[in-house]
Amino acid sequence: MGDHLDQIRDAVISGKHKEIEELVKAAIEDNVELNNLINDAMIAAMDVVGRKFADGDIFVPEMLVSAVTMKKGLDLIKPLLKDEDTQSKGTIIMCTVKGDIHDIGKNLVIMMLEGAGFTVIDLGVDLTVETLIQKVEEIKPDILGLSALLTTTMPEMKHVMETLGSKGLRDTLKVMVGGAPVDATFAEKIGADGYGKDAAEAVKLVRDFVSAK
Amino acid sequence: MKSTPHNLVMSALYNGRKAERPPVGSPTSIVCHGLMDAAGVSFPQAHLDANAMADLALAGHEIVGFDTVMPEYSVHQESAALGCEVHWGDRDNMPDGKTFPYADFSDINVPEHMLEKPSMRVVLDALSVLKRTVGDKVAVVGKVMGPWTLSYHMAGTQNFLLQIGMGEKEKVIMMMRQLMPVTIAFAKAQFQAGADVVCLADHVTGDLAGPYHYEELLLPLHKEITLQIGGPLILHVCGDCTDRLELFAEAGFDAYHFEWQMDAKKVVEKVGNRMSLVGCINNAQVLYQGTPDDAYKQARYAVEAGVNIIGPECAIPLATPLENLKAIVSAINEGY
Repeated sequence: MGDHLDQIRDAVISGKHKEIEELVKAAIEDNVELNNLINDAMIAAMDVVGRKFADGDIFVPEMLVSAVTMKKGLDLIKPLLKDEDTQSKGTIIMCTVKGDIHDIGKNLVIMMLEGAGFTVIDLGVDLTVETLIQKVEEIKPDILGLSALLTTTMPEMKHVMETLGSKGLRDTLKVMVGGAPVDATFAEKIGADGYGKDAAEAVKLVRDFVSAK
Repeated sequence: MKSTPHNLVMSALYNGRKAERPPVGSPTSIVCHGLMDAAGVSFPQAHLDANAMADLALAGHEIVGFDTVMPEYSVHQESAALGCEVHWGDRDNMPDGKTFPYADFSDINVPEHMLEKPSMRVVLDALSVLKRTVGDKVAVVGKVMGPWTLSYHMAGTQNFLLQIGMGEKEKVIMMMRQLMPVTIAFAKAQFQAGADVVCLADHVTGDLAGPYHYEELLLPLHKEITLQIGGPLILHVCGDCTDRLELFAEAGFDAYHFEWQMDAKKVVEKVGNRMSLVGCINNAQVLYQGTPDDAYKQARYAVEAGVNIIGPECAIPLATPLENLKAIVSAINEGY
């Protein structure tokens, strides 16, 4: 079993997107526990990828390929999981705020969170606060993630926080913010619960939120 | 040397003779609401009409006191000419590209009379208006996108970076090689139209790509571009690029426009006399959210560090208070 897990972990870390499906199929045929495949190979690999990115050893192109590789593997595993194995660790809504169409950072966070076993609903980019509030009321997520790449759209994050408060929704969820111009001071200033510098930090933040519940 | 704004800028670009103060200028947009109001021009008009463009650029010199005038406020002039659907924004929003016509990496169709496409012609006309207006007194700055940034616009940023990650080297180099003539032709035309210096923006930023990506994929193209364009070029790449500064110098750029997140003293030390430096007042925390005193302090720090031309680190947020921009000029007027 160890060989399978090592090979799959290495394939995800080094982004061997053409080989991952064969490796996962072989592991499944050899009756490797599906949860081991997810936790000890896929998630463990993406944790390594996240650390390498944070340390500046790899950049977005390599991280994207690792995420694509992981997704190909997960797509083979997920249909085989029994109901008791598929319980989500939490539901997260992610979006890029109104006025901003940048989405790489958001997409990377989503891929990492899905890999880590969370249910993520991607509301896309340039999202109005009205639509966002409607979705929060409808989906009742545990966590809301807001992204902005532009300094021009940072004020929209504050607007979202104020609207959540005025609608009485603020205490129903945790809010995390991220994006190039955003920092921890800004997150605190607008009343968010946390800030993630990169995708790996966002996953850690979400794990902390969930374990504190 | 007569210390006109033009001469201060041109001399600083080659780390040359100094006068009583360094120049203050920007190769990227300094448009904010206050400047629009002062010039009586707003977005999207200032992206689409040459006289409105030039009026707004001129206000940067006449109202704020910058030594440069730069009339291109978007990054989408070339991509619009190449077939991207561009929404030109409004008073509160910068333009955005809405489509990626070459997401499949098929051959780029560069229009035969590309420079006559409205989004490119308007910049050339605005530069001519500015040159006629300011003559040899103020430095006229043009701006073009490099092949890396144009590829983001043609294929989509995530798609382009994913292909790189997947090792599709030939595919991405082919796209950039097909786009490189657009950069070169637009820059040459801008010099002919009246630009004294052109900014070449190519976002191989530390937030997205590594120095090894730059060295392998883009550096050879940048070397060809700088050889083929005769006039002075300022490279603009945002993000932390400490790990690739030497490569930028090797590419043959005359100056580099950098961000505050790289310490100015360290950047000056690292680059030495190989390139001049332009920047590096922080946008998000200082110019947009900070006070005139914050901007003044950063400008003084940049002068003391030896940055050659002092100004914002990148295109400023539209809600930036005009007073914060003026504080940069006040700091620079105190001299070296």
